[in-house]
Amino acid sequence: MIASASTVAAPTALPVAIAACGPAAVRVTGATGDAERDWRTVHHLARRLTEQAPAGFLGCIPTYDAVLVEFDALEVDLAAMIPIVQEAAAGIDPDADLTEHPRHFEVPTAYGGEFGPDLDEVARITGIEPEDVIRLHTSPVYVVRCLGAPGGSPMLDGPAFPVPIPRLRSARTHVPAGKVSVAGRQATITPAAAPGGWLLIGATPLVLLDLEQNRPVPYLPGDTLSFHRIDEVEFRRLEGMRLTPAREAQR
Amino acid sequence: MTGELTVLAATLAAVTDLGRSGGPALGLPANGALDQHSARVANVLVGNVDGAPLIEATAFDFSFQTDADILIAVTGAPMDVYVDDVPQPMWTPLFVEAGQRVELEDMRQGMRTYIAVHGSFDVPLLLGSCAPDTVAGFGSTLTAGTALALHTRTAPLTPDAANLLGLLGFGVDVPYFGPGAVVDVTDGPDIDEFAGTVLRLFGKPFRVSDKSNHIGLRMTGRLPVREAAHEVLSRGVPIGAVEIPPGDELVVLHRGRGVTAGYPVLAVVTPVSLDALAQVRPGELVTFRHATLRSAAADAHYWHDRLHGLRQRVDSIYTSVGRADLRIAA
Repeated sequence: MIASASTVAAPTALPVAIAACGPAAVRVTGATGDAERDWRTVHHLARRLTEQAPAGFLGCIPTYDAVLVEFDALEVDLAAMIPIVQEAAAGIDPDADLTEHPRHFEVPTAYGGEFGPDLDEVARITGIEPEDVIRLHTSPVYVVRCLGAPGGSPMLDGPAFPVPIPRLRSARTHVPAGKVSVAGRQATITPAAAPGGWLLIGATPLVLLDLEQNRPVPYLPGDTLSFHRIDEVEFRRLEGMRLTPAREAQR
Repeated sequence: MTGELTVLAATLAAVTDLGRSGGPALGLPANGALDQHSARVANVLVGNVDGAPLIEATAFDFSFQTDADILIAVTGAPMDVYVDDVPQPMWTPLFVEAGQRVELEDMRQGMRTYIAVHGSFDVPLLLGSCAPDTVAGFGSTLTAGTALALHTRTAPLTPDAANLLGLLGFGVDVPYFGPGAVVDVTDGPDIDEFAGTVLRLFGKPFRVSDKSNHIGLRMTGRLPVREAAHEVLSRGVPIGAVEIPPGDELVVLHRGRGVTAGYPVLAVVTPVSLDALAQVRPGELVTFRHATLRSAAADAHYWHDRLHGLRQRVDSIYTSVGRADLRIAA
């Protein structure tokens, strides 16, 4: 039986909380108390459900700490879908690796100026020099947390800035493909041109989106990615080449 | 290839289907016919499966000609339909002979009209769907001179069969396309973040802005205010999500929505009302109405059952006029 309340209680033993998102989707949020374990839990859950493909199941959008499970409300009721999700979540090991053989991607990036018009603004917000913004952004090996909008963006944990970066008050109507951006405690690259409210600190000359492939973007959640700085000459030289894995990531 | 449909005039039209359900897991939105019900009915009437590629004409006149005999149905936003200058009804199958001109003019209400052709078209697919993705750059809009390859020819009806078909009637329920849409929403998962001001959603109507499209509808009105201030990590957002981004507008995400976003989801428009929103024009007013998950599911099932009934009726009518070749399973 479904009440009109938005949250549907899950048995306390489960590592997740389940909330209805209308009659055709549920948001399942990790509830282990640890960001890494939550991330692994929701991605494992997405894979399980995708492999099981229960009747009426359309697909999953796993992200950082949550997964949206979409289904055809004409084929399966929310009330029938929730126990299926609960059962799939019950046996998940939040410590099990997501990818046995993660691949690593190197992303050449030109910073500031026309490539990253918001670099100075990010420096102002964080109270550090633009060079330090670049240094902090190129330092980590990032884990691809999930594929997001637009066009399968690799969603990353943001660099270790002193403060989170607020989204633009008024989103840009056109952000070109290849822009390297940050917002909140997140970072990403935009594979396709779209409107966007994230702050643009740089751009990669490489092409991420290839619609001729079965998988339109080359990376998967669990793969790793790092940025290295290039100048304008190198940018022009690499322009239009495809992003391909550099090597198997170090564990 | 058995023939071609050639576009004579088009302003904003494309071949689409019910959408790319495998897209969201890879970061691509579902897209597809914005008014799913009208699209399904068009395909059912011509004996296609619901998800067959069909033409979506948005807002403007559209006309075409074919070099083969075809069976078509026109549904969705009301337009004047002519076959060689003779007015024809919508929401019913129409036999069109090779060389005849089909013209759709003067969309009086609504925003999107659908044209299905028996046997459908041969068009490129991405992840199993032909639905255009304007962000990823897949699919193309139809313009004068575009030729679509047809899968099948359709022999015309004999005069006796035509008479019989006219008498039987398909009894389609035609939805309301006029102004003043009432849009049902269920509570969103983040409704508590708007605690004191949620009821503003159900007060006065909201006006749809001209910045609205298949990605989302933007609306002005008295906005609920988010009380929490913490940064939200990007999360998967459902089609129909009602969000309040910074600024002075409310956004309802539709089938072209970016699959992840960092805004709290205040409410979710029901599947049936998403079809109604697909037909709302910029400048029109919409009124949100609170619905329960149970009533939203019941509405979806009601239309599902009607569609099932229509499928059976189409099947038996085509059989009874001696045209079993047009049945959906055929």
